[in-house]
Amino acid sequence: MAVHSDSASSGKKSSNGLNELLTFNAENMQSNMKIIYYSRTFLSIIGGVVAGILGFTGLKGFVFYLLLMALTSLGLVAKAGFSTHTYFDSWNRVLLDGFLGGLMSFVLFWTFAYDIVHIF
Amino acid sequence: MAEDLVLDTAIRDWVLIPLSVVMVLIGVLRYFVSMLMRSTQTPDAKIVKEGQVILRARNLRTGANFVPSKAFRARKIYFCNEENGLLFVPKGQVQNPQAQMFSDPNMAMDMMKKNLSMIIPQTLTFAWVNFFFSGFVAAKIPFPLTQRFRSMLQNGIDLSTVDVSYVSSRSWYFLNLFGLRGLFSLILGEENAVDDTQRMMQMGGFGFDPSKGLSAEKDNIDITQHDWALPNLEQRAEAVLRNVINQ
Repeated sequence: MAVHSDSASSGKKSSNGLNELLTFNAENMQSNMKIIYYSRTFLSIIGGVVAGILGFTGLKGFVFYLLLMALTSLGLVAKAGFSTHTYFDSWNRVLLDGFLGGLMSFVLFWTFAYDIVHIF
Repeated sequence: MAEDLVLDTAIRDWVLIPLSVVMVLIGVLRYFVSMLMRSTQTPDAKIVKEGQVILRARNLRTGANFVPSKAFRARKIYFCNEENGLLFVPKGQVQNPQAQMFSDPNMAMDMMKKNLSMIIPQTLTFAWVNFFFSGFVAAKIPFPLTQRFRSMLQNGIDLSTVDVSYVSSRSWYFLNLFGLRGLFSLILGEENAVDDTQRMMQMGGFGFDPSKGLSAEKDNIDITQHDWALPNLEQRAEAVLRNVINQ
């Protein structure tokens, strides 16, 4: 068993690598979830401002948001060393977790930046 | 027809930005007020005991597969035994804790404080927005919406030919309400970004934990099957030790 413990963006390994049974340390799992949530929220805010400044309207903006979320997922998976199963219990969490929460923040900051730059 | 309305810069300076700033500040204020108002209650010993029993039962359930089956069964009987098991509550006593909670003045006050601290800032801000900032176009949302949203988003504006993307300040308020949740969770630290909608959902299910919780936990443990998760434990321990030694 590997002695040095890698951490997923300062999250912790939440399962041991036993072959037959995967058990999850609930605290570490929660901390990992929180990290995903924070990164997504932060990126949606920044992404919203960027989308507003660049003047995306309508569908382009939402496509940009989807792109952003995909980038986040990719980043998280890469940071977890491509072995997501040791840090999270299912794929869906890494890919889809903070999606809708980030959407509202994205729309707010997108509207804000768009109005400030283009309308006024 | 999508003419671009030219909006006055003064709207941006005096409506959008102040509204957002005010909402952020009110959120921060509410957080600090809730911290200050967290009165130190001396918790009732009986309630704490029951809470701990529930925790223990829950731990038993999650860890059930890691103890040998005989040990699990012994624990199960200890908890669920009809006569003196810890989780067994005779029917007569079930209702008492709930009634006690509602008549207990301390707890009622606490609940009221929590409710008020949540509802009042929201209502006040909404009234303020309606009073000062109604009757003009406040912002343009960058994506188009159907005509049905017009009545919702444009309620101060009485022209029906204006594009639905131009919204009134009330909708800017709602947009802020939902969108600032993420921001609060970032600046206020983890669990304290409880926004209004989440709190409203929490308030709905306020059932007093111990009285219902005990019988629920008992049923849960009764259901739990024991599936010994550590067969061949000795061989696996040996393999791990060999690995460590050989490194």
